[in-house]
Order: sequence, then C-alpha cells, then structure tokens
Amino acid sequence: MRIDETHRPWLIASLAIFGISLAMYLPYAMTAPSGPKGGSFLGLIYGIAGYGFMLFAGLLGARKKVPVWRIGRAKTWMRGHLWLGLLSFPMILFHGGFAWRGPLTAVLMALLFIVVLSGIVGAVLQHYLPGMMTRRVPLETIYEEIPHVRQQLRDEAENLVTSVFGTMDRGSAAATAAVDPMVAVVSLIEIEQEEKEHFRELYISTMRPFFANPEAPGAELQEPQRSAEIFASLRRMLPSSVHSVLTDLESICEEERQLNRQIRLYRWLHGWLLVHVPLSILLLVLGGVHAVMALRY
Amino acid sequence: MARRTRTTKNLAQRIDRDYFKRVFPIAQWRRLLTIIFTAAGLSWLAWHAMASNPAVYSSGPIKSSHAVFGQNCTACHSSKTAFSAKVTDQSCQSCHDGPIHQAQQFYTPACSSCHVEHSGETSLARVNDGGCTECHGDLKTKSGTLRVAASIKSFNSGHPEFAAVRPGQHDSTSIKFNHQVHLKKDLRGPRGSNVQMQCADCHQPEGVKRAMPYGEPDPSGPQPVQASFSPHVSTRAYMAPVNFMEHCSACHPLGFDQRFKDAVPHKKPEMVREAVFKKFTAYIALHPDEIHVVTLDQRIPRRPPLPPPHNAAEWVAQMMGEAEQLLWGKTCKECHRLLYVAAAKVPQVPKAAINARWMKNARFDHQAHRLVNCDSCHAKASGSKDASDILLPGIETCQECHRAGKTNTAEARCFECHDYHDWSKEKPVNGTLSIHQLISSRK
Repeated sequence: MRIDETHRPWLIASLAIFGISLAMYLPYAMTAPSGPKGGSFLGLIYGIAGYGFMLFAGLLGARKKVPVWRIGRAKTWMRGHLWLGLLSFPMILFHGGFAWRGPLTAVLMALLFIVVLSGIVGAVLQHYLPGMMTRRVPLETIYEEIPHVRQQLRDEAENLVTSVFGTMDRGSAAATAAVDPMVAVVSLIEIEQEEKEHFRELYISTMRPFFANPEAPGAELQEPQRSAEIFASLRRMLPSSVHSVLTDLESICEEERQLNRQIRLYRWLHGWLLVHVPLSILLLVLGGVHAVMALRY
Repeated sequence: MARRTRTTKNLAQRIDRDYFKRVFPIAQWRRLLTIIFTAAGLSWLAWHAMASNPAVYSSGPIKSSHAVFGQNCTACHSSKTAFSAKVTDQSCQSCHDGPIHQAQQFYTPACSSCHVEHSGETSLARVNDGGCTECHGDLKTKSGTLRVAASIKSFNSGHPEFAAVRPGQHDSTSIKFNHQVHLKKDLRGPRGSNVQMQCADCHQPEGVKRAMPYGEPDPSGPQPVQASFSPHVSTRAYMAPVNFMEHCSACHPLGFDQRFKDAVPHKKPEMVREAVFKKFTAYIALHPDEIHVVTLDQRIPRRPPLPPPHNAAEWVAQMMGEAEQLLWGKTCKECHRLLYVAAAKVPQVPKAAINARWMKNARFDHQAHRLVNCDSCHAKASGSKDASDILLPGIETCQECHRAGKTNTAEARCFECHDYHDWSKEKPVNGTLSIHQLISSRK
C-alpha cells in the first residue's frame, strides 16, 4: 500500500492521540509517587489502549479471510493496521514506563519492538517496491503462476527450436513428429548441418539449463548483456530466415529474466511477513496472558 | 519480426486455474513459523507453570533484602480470593510492623504505594518524594491544626528553615563556653607550649576514642555517658556530647591545693567537698607540724590573713574554706552556672543539658559528610562567644549540595533525612517461616 495523501487523516489522528497521550504521561511520570507503573490507573489505560490497537492491527489477517463481509473497506482496514499498530508502540512504552521489568514483560517489549520495526520496514517496502515492480517487470504475472508460466515458456522454446533445427536430443529421429503445426513451415528452411550442430551445442549447454532453472546462479542468460551477445552471434552465424525464431527465443529469455526479477522483488515485498506475522500472533497471545496475570498479581 | 505476442487470449491460456489450491513457500513458512513461535511461547509459560514457578510473570527483580524468598512468590503474594494474589499490607506487616506515621493523618497509604518492589531500586526505603508530598504538598489533618509546614513540594521548594536555627532559638545548656577563645591561635597548652585547637579535638563521633593531643586527661574521672540513638542511625552519624574528662581536663585540671597533685573528681559539689575534706584530714594526720604553717594559694585574691589554727580540725576547716573559695569561686564557675541556696553548704550545679541531637525529626550523618571541613557548614563556630549560640548550619547550606530534581547533585529526596515510620515503636514480630521453607523456596 502506498502511503500517500489519503493517509493524512490517519496521520493527523494518530499524531493527535500520541500528543494527548504524551501530554498526560509527562506530568503523570514526574509526579507519580513511585514512578510510572503499568498497574496504575493511567498505566492501565495506556495498556488497554495499546493492546486494543494491537488487536485491531492483528484482525487485519482475519479480515482478509472474509473479503466479502461488509465490515469496512480493505483499504480502511489496512490504514488502521498501519497507524494504530504504530500507535500501539508508544502506548505500550507509556504503559510500562519505558522499563522492561520481568521476564514476560521483557519478552513482550522485545516482541513489540521487532514487530513494529518489521512493520515499518514492510510499510516502506510496500510503498516503494510495487512501483519498482511495474517499471522493472513489465511482463509481471501472478506470483503463484510463475512455475506454471515457466513450464509453458520451456515448452514454447523447445517447440520453436525443434521446428527449425529438428530434435535437440542426439539420436532421437522421431522428435520432429511432435512439432507444433503453427511453426512447422519454418522447418522447411534449409540450414547447414554444421550450423545446426553448433546451435544444438549452444542450446543444450546454455539455453535449456537456463529454461530448466532460470534462478540457478552463474547462468549466462541471466545477464541481459551476455544474452544479447549470444543471440547476436547466433544471428551472424545462422541464416536470416531463422532470425525470427531467435528473436522469439531471446524474448523468452527476457521473460524468464523478468520473472527472476519478479521473484526477487516479491521475496522482499513479502519476506518481512515471515517475521512480522508469526511474532505478531505470539505478541497478541502472550500479551493476553500478561494482561490476565498482571491483574492477578 | 517476432511472432510471439501477448494477447489477452494468450495470457488467459497461461493461467492455471487451480493455483490457489496449492500452498506456496512464503505462505507455508508463515503459517509454520506462526505455529512454532506461538507453541514455543506457550510452552515456555507452561513449563514455568508445571514447575510452579510464577516468577516469569514478575514485573522485575526483587530487592536484595527480599531475595531470600527466591521464587516463592506466595510469601508476599498471598491469595485472598480465588483469582487475586496481590500483595496486601498484612503481608508486609507480618515482618515489618511499623507504627502509623501520624495519628492525625487523613489517610494511610498502602505499603506498596511508596515501597515499590520489582523495580530494581537498591533499597525499598528510598522512596520517591511523591509519596510524601502527596500529603505534605497540601497538608490537612483530622484536627485541623498543623505542627509542620502546610505545603512542602520538595527539599528545595517549600521546605521551612530547620527548627533549631529559626530566629529566637538558642542552646539551653547551662555550660558556659566560648568557641572563639578556644579556636584562637597560640592558645596556651597544658605542656606550656602554644597550641591551635581543632574542632575534632573535642567533637568526635560516638564510639571514636581519640586522645587529646595537647595533654593527658585525668584517668580517675568517670567514663562519659554514651548518647543513645535509634538503631537505624549509624553509630558515627552524630558527634558525641563534649565530655569534661576527655576533652577539657587536660587543659583545665581541677586542682584545689598546691600540696596535692590529685584533682577533685568532676562530680556533684557534695562529693567534691567530701573528697577535699578527706584529702586535708588525711594530710594533716600525716603532717601535724604544718598546723602552724600558713600558706596562701596565689590563685586566690589577696585578703586579710586568717588567725593561726590551734589544732588539726581548725587547720582542715581553714584549708577547706580556702579550697572551696577556689573551686566554687573560680574553677567550677569557669564553665558552670552555680546556684547558691541559703543554708546549703555547697552551691548547686544545674545539669549541663548538652544537646546531642538537634534535629529531632530528621537524621544527619557526619560520617557521610567527612569530606567537608567543619567550617563549611558550622561557619559561625569560630566567632561564637557564648554556648547559647546555635552553631548549626541553616537549610541554605544543605541546599548548596542537596538540590531536589537536579542531576549530579547530592540526594535530596525526603528519605535522605526523614523517617516515615517511627521504628522506635516497632511492634515485635514472630517469624512464621522455617529455614527449610526459605531454602526450599529457592530451589
């Protein structure tokens, strides 16, 4: 979600709540006979408010499970998640009087710190990376479809090559029987055997492994510059009649590279959730236990 | 020209419609980590619960004075209801049964409102001023009358001048003493040489035995009476009252006749007179020839000579008269205000009434201030000519170092000088825990 001017009301409201809380906290902390404590009246108010904000932020996950329920727009929930989640941090600090105290409360403070920090990192990533994705991955597809799309790209490349150069597997003569009829006409083009062999070597050693595992480190075709050099040399070697096939293959390589880029960006875009979500759930669970036990003792 | 095109149809054909049925790595890991972390957190709490160790819910480390309870939380957190296990005043009073602060106070705060456990402070007695100023900031009493200032916000705000040094106050001791004379340079010492006396020559803490550097005190004198202070006060906190035998006798011997090296005892006049009488009686018995020898003490002013004595009794009576004139008229009078009662053989000496502790409602520790020279605080001492002068410093002197609310200054919170509880009235406590219970709580 981009943090733009539509967040202004939330920003102003959050700053107002923070300002009021701070204005109440300072005289309380300076005049409380034994210093600020979570168990005091104001300390409890801060604790309840902080935990309430955290609960609301945590309910975003539940809200996503029921997208058709009429319980507010997803955007509103997300903005609430961002700003109230952030606001829970000072509330809990005021609640605890900026002290870590006992084992459970220390764990809770550490969890809160990590969750809020990971949330801020996530918000920054979610703000910048989608735009970057649009610019750098024009051929973006649904992330979960990438393995399926890659299989199709592999098949497409194999069909293109086979239609022109015959089977790429040595000793297999019947491969041409499975050629796509749409590209069969190209197979009529005559190409010198030596050139075919050279292309076969290159395809088997460089292109096919790249299509099989585009993310494998060290693949030459992962580099746009190197890829352009390889295809330029092929164009010089092969007759112009097959250049369109080479262009298609180069396009497939480019799409593979963009999918690689999409995967990397996607991991940045969603990887922080591996920290944020599990620790948020743990924070809510342990926070609930703390609330009950603090009332007991 | 490339034949690959990204038409809507092409793109639609690429979609695997069942993709959402599969779980992809990031979502899979997210769920797995959520389960693992939550289970680990709950297992941690469950492990403590199974070990009957609720210390995990502690709001901070307990004080060293309570560390003996270890993790036996119920020693203080005694359950009063099925759910609540809060610390009550009864829990504290089972060991520390301090009396109420003031009978006229409007309300008594809970122990834990001032003494905050689990907060890492080194001493529970080091409470914040808020606990005191909650009442003393705007003091009200049940009777409506106030014996202390109505509004004290801190040591530097609203705290009145010390009662002892307020205008009109004076030292009510019956002793006559001139600090200025005793502190002047080149004072004649007992060994003939000149000396410069220091404050510490006479003013020493309780229990400190420091020999008078200018001469030997009279060893036959009575031992000084130790002042008694609260057990909560350091034995070196206060200066012991000045004592004649230790601090004065070397320079001011109580001689009464040149025939004797011994001095009279520093006791009541009746006992002094009896001692002198015994001395003269014993002397003349051993030296009957001296009945007819007239010797006049040069220290007594000239007066007409007495008729020569005819026997030992008359000689003793004459010598007694001479000695008493010296003692009552000069030696004792040097420091004591003597009262003469008609028909009494000897004058009366009022009690010295040397005040050992001036601030009855506050504590002071000279030992803690030993780095500071005496003049810094007791600046008036070197100019004082009368023992009725109160030489204590005023509050402004203390406030030069003890500044409330400021950093890098001496402690200025109320507890530094004042006790909330009058521990002299502490009720006896009968312990309820056995050593076994204490030790087992630490396991």
